[in-house]
Amino acid sequence: MTAVTRHLPWLALVLLALGSTFPIDAGSSSATETTVAVSSAPDETLPPVAEDSVRFAVLGDTGTGGTAQREVGARLAQSHRVFPYEFVLLLGDNLYGSERPQDFAKKFELPYKPILDRGIQFYASLGNHDDPNQRFYQPFNMSGQRFYTFRKGDVRFFALDSNYMDKDQQAWLERELANSDSKWKIAFHHHPLYSSGARHGSEEDLRAIVEPLFVKHGVSVVFAGHEHFYERLKPQKGIFHFTNGAAAKLRAGNIRVGALTAKGFDTDHSYMLVEIAGDELHFQTLSRPGKRVDSGTIQVRSAATDTSKEMDSWH
Amino acid sequence: MKSLRATMCVVALSTLPASAVGPAQAPTPAVNQTGAAVLAFQQKVADYVKLHNQAESKVPSLTETDDPAKIAAREAALGEAIRQMRATAKPGDIFIAEFRPHLLALLRSGFAGRPRGDRQALVEDQPKSMALSTYMTYPPSIPLATFPGKLLRSLPDLPPELEYRIVGRHLILRDVKANIVVDFVRDAVPTT
Repeated sequence: MTAVTRHLPWLALVLLALGSTFPIDAGSSSATETTVAVSSAPDETLPPVAEDSVRFAVLGDTGTGGTAQREVGARLAQSHRVFPYEFVLLLGDNLYGSERPQDFAKKFELPYKPILDRGIQFYASLGNHDDPNQRFYQPFNMSGQRFYTFRKGDVRFFALDSNYMDKDQQAWLERELANSDSKWKIAFHHHPLYSSGARHGSEEDLRAIVEPLFVKHGVSVVFAGHEHFYERLKPQKGIFHFTNGAAAKLRAGNIRVGALTAKGFDTDHSYMLVEIAGDELHFQTLSRPGKRVDSGTIQVRSAATDTSKEMDSWH
Repeated sequence: MKSLRATMCVVALSTLPASAVGPAQAPTPAVNQTGAAVLAFQQKVADYVKLHNQAESKVPSLTETDDPAKIAAREAALGEAIRQMRATAKPGDIFIAEFRPHLLALLRSGFAGRPRGDRQALVEDQPKSMALSTYMTYPPSIPLATFPGKLLRSLPDLPPELEYRIVGRHLILRDVKANIVVDFVRDAVPTT
């Protein structure tokens, strides 16, 4: 250990006292090393609008184990004090590269330790960088399945494996959507059905298979990652799509703003906070330094209704 | 009159024994070749799944755990058990020779009309070439390329133990729980 790394915790405390923004990345993969990422920038997290609402955070493309992931993790913990979400959706690419036990520690357990320690549950979907056997990792709450569903209050969530949309998964999705009587149906998966990203763009094969089911069975909102930026799409066939794959990786300047984009943010890392109360979904998107870059309200849709005119407000 | 003569001629010929009208024709196969090839492939898949299940019974069962070491150890143990049970396995054991032309035709058809950018996106982040061998562990550092949904629907169905994947230009058959390459076809993905 060098003199510099030995004194990093003290240096951190001094800088913190001075109100500086400083990530510390000692470049170590040690699972026991404490990571500090603090920003003195004002946190623009909005508090919840209702009691007893369903509240969750959304993170995509997280598993680098790098500085940005830890900084977003720290910011997410700060947000929780203002906006006490009860669970987190992971949009895939939960672990980039190797998946040894120490990788689970470095790329998941340590960056989110503050909120894991508070009992916050994570629900993961699989990305193209993920070994499907992650489904057996209990903290991901996948029940040993590549695709699964769970319910919170009046919201039914559908986690899909968009890497491999075979007939079995399609049939399962149709059956589960049809059987659900929840007011809200929300799908989340890795690949975006619509995207203005220059690198990837819309996943048309997947869209051709799942979108008709989403429309038919009243899915209101879809969260996806894969693109390393934030984009809120204009409603497509009545469904609101969010791409949110910048919680650890960033593809700066990659959004080609066009007919699809309602709001884009590709200059820093970001994450989302969502609250569902009655017929309304309130969302806010925050950047790594804690700035609110998008927010708004969505009305629930029922099967075969068009909610494209149902935007209450955007901020 | 000409037409009547021609008809009579055809009738007369059709009543002659086959040997009298020319060389013997090859008998039409009872089962079409493509169908037979697909069925043979599916039988190979079924045989593999049987073996996979036998191997699974020899390693500790895997349930949800908060210890990733157990997941990795189980994956490795299952892969090793399968390797030992198929020590003589070689490429083409499952993607059998009679099935491969049909498979390649399906892939060609599936990729036809896809924009170049779309095809490139499929192999993004993947090495241009990758050494392949039967029952090798799929390298964890190489992303599992998303398999196009429409193309997947054109290929014979697989049980949940197996999946098709594209690596570079190669098509592989991957054991999902053991994370091993069960078989492969090189250069199966068209470049043009």
